[in-house]
Amino acid sequence: MEEGGYLINIPGVPHFVAYSWLAMVILIVLSLMVRKSLKLVPKGVQNFVETMVEALYNLCEEVIGHHWARAHFPLIGTLGLYILLCNYMGLIPGFDSPTANINTTASCAVPVFFATHYYGIKVHGTKYINHFLGPIRKIYALPLMLIMFFVEVIGHLARPVTLSVRLFGNMMSKHILLSVLAVLAPIGIPVLVLGLGVLVGLVQAFVFVLLSVMYLAGAVEEAH
Amino acid sequence: MKKRVVLVLLALALVTLIAPYAFAEEGAGAASAATTMAVFGAAIGIGLAALGTGIGQGLGLSKACEGTARNPGASGKIMTILIIGLAMIESLCIYALLVSLGILISQKSFF
Repeated sequence: MEEGGYLINIPGVPHFVAYSWLAMVILIVLSLMVRKSLKLVPKGVQNFVETMVEALYNLCEEVIGHHWARAHFPLIGTLGLYILLCNYMGLIPGFDSPTANINTTASCAVPVFFATHYYGIKVHGTKYINHFLGPIRKIYALPLMLIMFFVEVIGHLARPVTLSVRLFGNMMSKHILLSVLAVLAPIGIPVLVLGLGVLVGLVQAFVFVLLSVMYLAGAVEEAH
Repeated sequence: MKKRVVLVLLALALVTLIAPYAFAEEGAGAASAATTMAVFGAAIGIGLAALGTGIGQGLGLSKACEGTARNPGASGKIMTILIIGLAMIESLCIYALLVSLGILISQKSFF
């Protein structure tokens, strides 16, 4: 995209990195502000933050189960709030959304990939390979197990790719649509696209978090 | 009557498809045959992807409406599932859009 006039211009630093630093600063300042004055009956900023954190924790607990939700919750919560903030920063003129760049979204998706395998091996040990071998695990089903192994490996390798490309594609297409409409119909219609951008930002952050939670739950589940 | 209309439309479609080759030989701007085919491929690709996305999301949406009509109390949960499903199907169209954009940008035909 063309180099428009961005508000934060640090020489030598690409603009999506600078805005991701801004998102980090906002989140850290918000959490320190809430932590400094914790009340038992929340009001104001603490109420808002507590609502979001509780919603994310309920989602974690519902899908993963009570035992491991606490361990996974920092990763899921951080990813959710960071991606939501980055998506919404792109709607403000003069700002850029860091998630409209494949580097940021890949940096969000690859830790989820490594976390699923780390937790899978930590919980199951060497029996983690059973997750890849399909439904029948007797010795007479060896061809089925081999085929299932390759299919599952490809599916697992596709997960960080689809997670990052889905988020990147949605944010990038919103920017491209806005720039095309700015040439074709600059009066009125871009506002509709901005409204769509609000909805898409929320939905894509939620889908990212939901899929990460489901992948983590699939890695640590105790069934079969 | 109907067969005649179909024949006329078919002839028009064939002319539309074959004509760019005749024009390309005359040197239409800076476009070569490869760029013509690339732009054509990009447009067909994203068009087909949007077609599939429209059908898929329409099916999901119709079942969601039916479910809400049967049980209005469950409309919150159904809407959540619907939005998640629509986002997943939309992402398939976005993959095709990225491929089309890649083709266009590689041919320097996009901004």
